[in-house]
Amino acid sequence: MLLSAENVSKTFGSLRAVAGANLAIDEGEIIGLIGPNGAGKSTFFNCLAGDTLPTTGRIVFDGRDVTRASPEEHAELGVGRTFQVPATFEDLTVLDNVMVGAFLRHPHRGAAREHALQVLDLVGLGDRQNLRARSLGTPGRKRLEIARVLATGPRLMLLDEALAGLTPVELQQAIALVKKIHQTGVTLVIVEHIMEVIMTLAARVIVFNQGHVIAQGKPADVVRQEAVIEAYLGRGHRNWRKKD
Amino acid sequence: MKAPIALALAFILYPFVFSNAFYLDIGVALLLAAISASAWNIVGGYAGQVSVGHCMFFGAGAYLPLLVYHHWQLPPVVGVPLGIIVSLVLAVIVGMPTFRLTGHYFSMATIAVAELIRLVIGTWDFAGAAIGLQGPAVGRGWWDLTFRGELPYYFIFLAVLIVLLLVISTIERTRFGYYLRAIKAGERAARSLGVPVRRTKLYALMLSAAFTSIAGSLYSIKTGFIDPESGFGILVSVQMVIIAALGGAGTLYGPLVGALILIPLQTATNTWFGGGGTGLTYILYGGIIVLIARFEPGGLHEMWHRIAPKFGKRHAA
Amino acid sequence: MLLLQVIVGGLLLGAIYALFSSGLTLIWGMMNFINFAHGEFVMLGMYVALMIVVWLGGGPAVFGIASAFALFVLGVAIYLSLIRHVTRGPMLAQILSTFGLALLLRYTAFWIFSANVVSLPQTSLGGTLNIFGILVPAAQLVAGVTATVITIALHLFLTGTTLGSQLLAVAEDRNAAMLMGIRPDRMQALAWGLAAAGAGIAGALMAISYPWSPSVGETFGLTAFVVVTLGGFGSVPGAMYAGLIIGLIQALSAFYLGPIYKDIVVYALFAALLWFRPQGLLGKA
Repeated sequence: MLLSAENVSKTFGSLRAVAGANLAIDEGEIIGLIGPNGAGKSTFFNCLAGDTLPTTGRIVFDGRDVTRASPEEHAELGVGRTFQVPATFEDLTVLDNVMVGAFLRHPHRGAAREHALQVLDLVGLGDRQNLRARSLGTPGRKRLEIARVLATGPRLMLLDEALAGLTPVELQQAIALVKKIHQTGVTLVIVEHIMEVIMTLAARVIVFNQGHVIAQGKPADVVRQEAVIEAYLGRGHRNWRKKD
Repeated sequence: MKAPIALALAFILYPFVFSNAFYLDIGVALLLAAISASAWNIVGGYAGQVSVGHCMFFGAGAYLPLLVYHHWQLPPVVGVPLGIIVSLVLAVIVGMPTFRLTGHYFSMATIAVAELIRLVIGTWDFAGAAIGLQGPAVGRGWWDLTFRGELPYYFIFLAVLIVLLLVISTIERTRFGYYLRAIKAGERAARSLGVPVRRTKLYALMLSAAFTSIAGSLYSIKTGFIDPESGFGILVSVQMVIIAALGGAGTLYGPLVGALILIPLQTATNTWFGGGGTGLTYILYGGIIVLIARFEPGGLHEMWHRIAPKFGKRHAA
Repeated sequence: MLLLQVIVGGLLLGAIYALFSSGLTLIWGMMNFINFAHGEFVMLGMYVALMIVVWLGGGPAVFGIASAFALFVLGVAIYLSLIRHVTRGPMLAQILSTFGLALLLRYTAFWIFSANVVSLPQTSLGGTLNIFGILVPAAQLVAGVTATVITIALHLFLTGTTLGSQLLAVAEDRNAAMLMGIRPDRMQALAWGLAAAGAGIAGALMAISYPWSPSVGETFGLTAFVVVTLGGFGSVPGAMYAGLIIGLIQALSAFYLGPIYKDIVVYALFAALLWFRPQGLLGKA
């Protein structure tokens, strides 16, 4: 087991965003994390990335208790994440953005640059390396965020709606990219609204509602469960039906 | 590499072309301002942690050389490393607690601690209280660094500025430099990529403090006099901030460009407005700072990069 | 008895600190923004009072309201012309906008009013009251009580009225407030107006009893930082208690150590707070 979260909960004042969530991830999996808006996915995600300290519970990564570890330590250990709203370094060039990530495992500039260039080629941003990040569109910046995390050499990548807001063509490219990353041996957790993405990519789906996991299993099975349909009877469900 | 060498040459030739005392004075003031602002730039510009109390390091560097002379008749130069040590301690005192919090806390802490030190020095007889301290009137040997003309100071200051700019340009090309810019661009994202944010900010502040302290030492050794206002006064901090921000905070040559504009301007306003001019100078400073913040936080550097391509296009068309 | 007198004097001045600090804390709570020119607002309030008294000959009620009104307009104008444009910008722009403004206001005041120490001509609030043997100047008593009433009124306004709760809603969650149909920009402009008006009245109240020069703005600005840090950022009641505490500490250190030490002790307290309790006395750990 690569990562396990046991009975994780997080409260903000009187609001219980995550209420006793459990999750176990094996090395090499692609897991889809879905649920309606406000289900607590993002907070749970932030707990896994070390950005938010859980109120209770325990998170173990590769045999180490990382519940209280900082985001820096998470990156060091091999847990990388992207942000829901792309947090690229806007005034830095695309290459420099990725180099910041690459420096984690390559302290010298030459090696970091070389590694960053490889990663940029992998994600398909090689031709735009000298542009400032701010000049990329949303799809480009999401791609850049993925590249930046990839450059830190993660074993587990947490993608927070990294594929939202893309056109169908961009979406297909992004799905191909995620598959490519997966083939290099990275384990992935994907938070996503678009059911199509989850259905294509994830081998296992976890459904979040009201702060805890209400169902999990193969995508095709999960979406037929009564509890899931009830919790999720919104846009996502109907979208999936239409496409089916 | 051509431009930096040409620039250095121009600075080396300047005192021979403009050899009268008035122009030499401006040259020395300009170099000192460029050193202080470049030092501020490491933490305020590159790391984006805006100090408005950098006079605490300048003052520490300025006071210690004259303190060791005043009390123990040591050559003022002995006080330079001591000033650096005191500045590093101050950097840790201010930086350690505030770098856990948002940048506003750091800014507030810098101005409050700087003001605290100014008040303490102003009442402390050991440090000359409100009257201040004096250096050796006549040098007892070359090691006292009291020269009759300005020329030796000019070249010492120029050497320090060149060393400082070389240090910063080296930093720009290392992991530390990339981390500083990443922190400025977004701390949360930087942390998620494994950047040790707090430690990096603290190192930047310490490095900045050390060089600001050297600038202070150069000032007091040259003038042979220091008092609370010229060492720890808020206007000392203001000058560093405005010069760096005007030229372009977080760029290598920004502070130098800022100094090239502001120091002659300051000399001119002081000449035009006479004795009452200092007040007007600072109104002008305040106005410039507000305008930079409102319209062009990247300073002239950013403005140039926005405007230059347009001119280029016009020529092409 | 002398000590009691010192304590009462400190608390009365502290009540005024609480008043001008509550504006600073309100703005921090709403927009995570520190106003480095806040002390200059207080200083301007003092000069507005002076100009009213000299030119129009009004009493404390007249110049108090005039200071509040003038500073309210200035606060809103500064928000609309400057602050609004820098809040989403880089940290450098956020800090330098009000830092530059502070210099601009301070040195403009030096230029117009000179560096001389001035005070208001004797007002109708002269005389000293003897309360159970403690001598309290009437002007200080009236100023302290007025400041307390206004600070409490501000707190009640924020917590008890529709407009106030809309202000707090913006502070709580800007996006949620927008969904509820509140326009954050207007609320923030109002907050800047109120904060500046509070500083203006505080200045007018202090002008009755204390002489001043343009440089007091810097001292009051730093004092407000200490009060807000002690009381917890964003908390008006916190600023209220902390203001009283700081006033008291100042009075006691001036009494025991000498007047020049009153600010030294307060700033040293600030440095200590940053190390040991940056969230303030009333803030959550």
